[in-house]
Amino acid sequence: MERLIVNDGIKKSKIPARLDLAQSGTGLVLGLFMWVHMCLVGSIVLGKGSFNFVAKTMELSFLSSTGHGYPSVVFFAVLGVFSLFIIHAALGVRKFPISWKEHTIIRSQMGMMKHSDTNLWYWQVVTGFIMFFLGSAHLFIMLTHPGQIDPYLSADRVFSSHMWPLYLVLLVCVELHGTIGLYRLCMKWGWFGGKDPVKSRKRLKMLKNRITIFLLSLGLIALLVFFIIGWRHSDRVGEPYNLGHITVIAGTAPDLSVVPGEPEANDHTISNEE
Amino acid sequence: MKVIYTDSLVIGGGLAGLRIAIASRQRGYDTIVLSLMPAKRSHSAAAQGGMQASLGASIKGEGDNEEVHFEDTVKGSDWGCDQDVARMFVNTAPKAIRQLTAWGVPWSRVRKGDRQVVINGKKVTITEKGEAHGLITSRDFGGTKKWRTCFTSDGTGHTMLYAMDNKAIELGIPVHERKEAIALIHEDGVCYGAVVRDLVTGELTAYVAKATTIATGGYGRLYAVTTNAVISEGIGTAIALETGVATLGNMEAVQFHPTAIVPVGILTTEGCRGDGGLLLDKEGYRFMPDYEPDKKELASRDVVSRRMTEHMRKGKGVSSRYGDHLWLDITLLGKEHINKNLREVKEICEYFLGIDPVKEYIPVRPTQHYSMGGVRTKATGESPNLKGLFSAGEAACWDMHGFNRLGGNSVAETVVAGMIVGEYVADHCASTTLNINTVLIEKFVRREENKIFKLLNREAGENPFELRKEMQDIMMDKVGIFRNGDDLAQAVEELKKLNQRAKNIALKNRISTSNPELVEAIRVPKMIKLAQCVAYGAMLRTESRGAHAREDFPERNDKDWLKRTLTTWNSEDADLPEVTYEELDIMKMEMPPGSRGYGVDNTVHHPDTEKRVAGIEEIKTAHPDADRFEMQELLNPIEIPEKFRGKNERTGRGFK
Amino acid sequence: MSDQERTLTFHILRYNPQIKGDTPTMKRYEIKEAPGMTIFIALNEIREKHDTSIQFDFICRAGICGSCAMIINGQPDLACRTLTSKFPEGEIKLLPLPGFELIGDLSVNTGKFMRQMSERVESWIHDQNAENVDLCKLEERMDPDTADEIYELERCVECGCCVSACATKRMREGFLSAVGFMRLARYALDPRDKRSDEEFYEIMGDDDGVFGCMTLLGCQDYCPKDLPHQTQIAYLRRRMALVK
Ligand SMILES: Cc1cc2nc3c(=O)[nH]c(=O)nc-3n(C[C@H](O)[C@H](O)[C@H](O)COP(=O)(O)OP(=O)(O)OC[C@H]3O[C@@H](n4cnc5c(N)ncnc54)[C@H](O)[C@@H]3O)c2cc1C
Ligand code: HEM
Ligand code: HEM
Ligand code: SF4
Ligand code: F3S
Ligand code: FES
Repeated sequence: MERLIVNDGIKKSKIPARLDLAQSGTGLVLGLFMWVHMCLVGSIVLGKGSFNFVAKTMELSFLSSTGHGYPSVVFFAVLGVFSLFIIHAALGVRKFPISWKEHTIIRSQMGMMKHSDTNLWYWQVVTGFIMFFLGSAHLFIMLTHPGQIDPYLSADRVFSSHMWPLYLVLLVCVELHGTIGLYRLCMKWGWFGGKDPVKSRKRLKMLKNRITIFLLSLGLIALLVFFIIGWRHSDRVGEPYNLGHITVIAGTAPDLSVVPGEPEANDHTISNEE
Repeated sequence: MKVIYTDSLVIGGGLAGLRIAIASRQRGYDTIVLSLMPAKRSHSAAAQGGMQASLGASIKGEGDNEEVHFEDTVKGSDWGCDQDVARMFVNTAPKAIRQLTAWGVPWSRVRKGDRQVVINGKKVTITEKGEAHGLITSRDFGGTKKWRTCFTSDGTGHTMLYAMDNKAIELGIPVHERKEAIALIHEDGVCYGAVVRDLVTGELTAYVAKATTIATGGYGRLYAVTTNAVISEGIGTAIALETGVATLGNMEAVQFHPTAIVPVGILTTEGCRGDGGLLLDKEGYRFMPDYEPDKKELASRDVVSRRMTEHMRKGKGVSSRYGDHLWLDITLLGKEHINKNLREVKEICEYFLGIDPVKEYIPVRPTQHYSMGGVRTKATGESPNLKGLFSAGEAACWDMHGFNRLGGNSVAETVVAGMIVGEYVADHCASTTLNINTVLIEKFVRREENKIFKLLNREAGENPFELRKEMQDIMMDKVGIFRNGDDLAQAVEELKKLNQRAKNIALKNRISTSNPELVEAIRVPKMIKLAQCVAYGAMLRTESRGAHAREDFPERNDKDWLKRTLTTWNSEDADLPEVTYEELDIMKMEMPPGSRGYGVDNTVHHPDTEKRVAGIEEIKTAHPDADRFEMQELLNPIEIPEKFRGKNERTGRGFK
Repeated sequence: MSDQERTLTFHILRYNPQIKGDTPTMKRYEIKEAPGMTIFIALNEIREKHDTSIQFDFICRAGICGSCAMIINGQPDLACRTLTSKFPEGEIKLLPLPGFELIGDLSVNTGKFMRQMSERVESWIHDQNAENVDLCKLEERMDPDTADEIYELERCVECGCCVSACATKRMREGFLSAVGFMRLARYALDPRDKRSDEEFYEIMGDDDGVFGCMTLLGCQDYCPKDLPHQTQIAYLRRRMALVK
């Protein structure tokens, strides 16, 4: 069919479409990844054994005969996530109110309207900005110490290496940013609209709030547990939970009854049995 | 002095103005539209109910055609209309609507199969034919034999105006917004354009053109309570009057709409009653069948408005702090229908009354609504007295409405007149050359400058807002639905005084740029003159016809009054307009005067009526084989621009 | 409606750019409330009784024409249909719509903006045959539901609330804004408009177009005519993202 639009004949680039898809795609993957990540890290709440089990499983220890696992798996995982993170951040930065003028406008707009979704976006920008630094730091550490995910070593990082303030801020940021982002994704692409999109929006927003609260609580408790373990372990910094190569012997699955924060002599004995 | 030259200058960016601009642009003439506001905000956007065109696609419109539409229109006008024009109109309306369809109006369409409607207070099932599926549907409106009013839910005018303006944008027609024409430039019976004030900068510019068209809408704001927009002040009509040359037609013909909400006067569309809504009194009693057993709520507007007023005078109105009112009940239409087809009405009820029309009655009373009168034109849309001056739409008295216009015929008029007059405007542009002395332009611009200068420099004087309010109250109380000699005489006297006082307006805010008080001061004297035309014309017309109802002369008097009122304002110093009359020739009427079929027929007939009836009979017997087209040609031969002459196709009957 | 009379306090931004040296200031006006009073009625009273120079735009005063949008206590809305009784405190702060050229006080030039928007999105039916339609013949049929859906989007009154409510638009001058998206969605839906997705992409396929929308949804929340911005912008985005 002949062209109906008269223009200068220069066709618009398809790049903006791809970038938008990439932004959403990376956001989606990161957002969902963070749910999983939170649950995995949160396993510390159930006890060092659980966390240890998770950590080792992540290193695919069940595939290796020694039970040692392959820390390189973690390395590559982190590398992947890190790349996504950077791509996503680079795309996100385009949307930042970069100049002072833009910043003043958005602030005055928010002050005037008090409109919740506009405010949410602003929080995404702020949290994104913070994560740019803190997230990178965390990922860098994970990248360079892939084998050091371990109840004690992690706890030492949190407490003795003074990472907890970073984690605290990062936690708040990522949970806000991630869930808002996922809610916005649904709006942006019209997912889960249902028959009455206005009502669905309300429902999604409520769901978003609930998820944020859940993940934040879980994260805070986990951080507290790390903190306490780290504090108790502060005389033995650097000594891993798995001295050498430890496999959990069949039948001696981690003791789920252990209350976090209690002296864990018992636990200790089990793991040192071999 | 700033001067802008163009071929076709159109004052007014409503439906009528834009359509004319499109016509002259499409014929290749340089065209400029002036508007007080962005064109899409023109009052045409407020028309909710619909546009009449005899498409006859809906089952209840079956059998409709130009003849039936013509009959309804002439009857509705109480035989006051120009039948040639009414003919041109009904024949072209189907084409107008089809063109608008191609330009994007999303008319509501026929859906085949059963549907529930409310007729005469009862739920009835009607079955739309399969062959009509997807064609433009129509609804019932007052004073029509068939369901003929085509609509887009209840945003008809809005969608029409948007399509029209979008078309104008496509054609690159410049719309100069926030500009007000305050005087016409003319000499020796030829109009050369207008002096225009920029409402933001205050600057005066002369727009000089071969053809100048006034399409500025109605003059509802002469009344205190009206359904009209606040810019419907009749300024375009007034500047034509102020030329002293151009005539205004039938200014006393002012329509009151039965159902505007109380107190603010915002309209609830006729569609409410068309779709089955009822009028109830304070006892919840449906009174209209007592007065009009045949058409009930769907009698012509003027009739329903009068019946409502009569009923309230009997003490049956609901009293409120804003005076008496009646109820409009649309609860029986059901939530779904209201939410879909009467949504604007629902919004209006929610926002302005705080009620839910699905469950509650709406307080309504008759309110000023439409100006049948306006700049008198020939069938070509040109002023008979001032060459090069055209007019169309509500501003004009092209005269297809006579003394009462039917609901839905007005937006239809704007577009049809736009098409037809637009062609004549283009013809005029083709056949004239612009020959004007700049001295003349300067004279007019200086004159207006002087007036403004005086206004800005007067130390003390009248307050324009107060003058306006007094005028509006006089019109409301004494030149309303029912009129009588005493009140009218008083109104004329009082308006005379106001006219004097209006020469002595002084301002508080004395700046020449954007200044709403100055705008008011420029407009108010013009409006008072128009009010005088209405009141004086009403006083002189000692009969009742259509919307003009004299309590002291209740009969329609064809013998003495089958004529059109023409008004001029001869000199600046005059206190009263000059009124003359133009006879309507019964011997040329396709449809000689008869009964409208409301109440008792107490018409005083004209001797020619019988002659013409007999004459028509003769013609009919002499041509027994003539079809309706040939018959019309014999009875009422008319000129329509070539483009719009063909026969109109209808579903189920082709071009027959 | 309560019959109790209260005194309303209006705080109105006053600024006339036509007067050299004038600076924006907030001015205070007090008037007695009347039953059923809208901001339209109140402002006219202020103009007639207190300050004849104050500028604002009303036309239909019935919530139909879209000329009276302004910021009312922080929210963009149509002033003519806002009842003063809505504000229990009796304090009403009025500002002109941000993001438009200011004409004076509460009056802004939405007309210029909307015309440019219409030209940019080519807000008309694109069909080479439209001008050759035989007006005598039956009109082209349209599915009744399609007609209703188009009308849903045609209800926009170009009031500009969605433009002012969008922080993206305010930050990025060139951003098309929600009213433009609604217009595009309207034509994209209309079978009479023969533009292809590729052609629509030329209009909105960049960061000034649909990919620049950050889904703030102020447009959805402040549109006085309740247009479905949320779903329609998403729809356009999906359609445009898939253009090859
Ligand atoms: C509430 C309401 C509902 C209605 N519903 C229906 C209906 O359902 N069906 C129907 O058929 N009719 C209806 N009508 C009547 C119909 O809408 C109008 O008669 C018709 O739209 C008038 O159109 P117009 O083009 O003549 O003028 P308008 O649309 O009023 O346009 C006037 C134009 O002139 C401009 N203008 C005015 N003065 C000047 C000046 N001095 N200088 C420059 N520009 C100027 C204005 O800016 C505006 O652009 C309704 C009317 C009202 C009030
Ligand atoms: C350096 C860190 C980050 C920055 C600077 C950043 C920035 C942004 C920005 C500005 C947006 C808004 C995009 C828009 O409005 O179009 C966004 C969206 C989003 N972000 Fe991030 N982000 C970062 C990290 C993350 C992380 C770690 C996650 C995972 C939880 C995440 C998940 C999301 C999601 C799901 C969206 C929504 C996607 C979309 O709108 O298309 N972001 N991000
Ligand atoms: C594959 C990549 C990642 C791995 C392997 C990983 C691993 C871990 C581990 C092992 C911990 C426990 C503390 C520690 O050992 O130091 C942790 C905590 C944390 N991580 Fe990550 N992480 C990854 C990516 C991210 C990203 C992208 C973010 C967000 C930007 C993030 C945010 C956090 C936060 C906030 C905590 C603290 C949680 C708490 O204690 O409540 N992580 N992460
Ligand atoms: S989309 Fe809504 S808010 Fe935006 S201009 Fe149209 S009516 Fe106003
Ligand atoms: S507010 Fe603005 S950012 Fe998009 S969703 Fe609406 S246009
Ligand atoms: S004045 Fe028309 S919408 Fe408010």
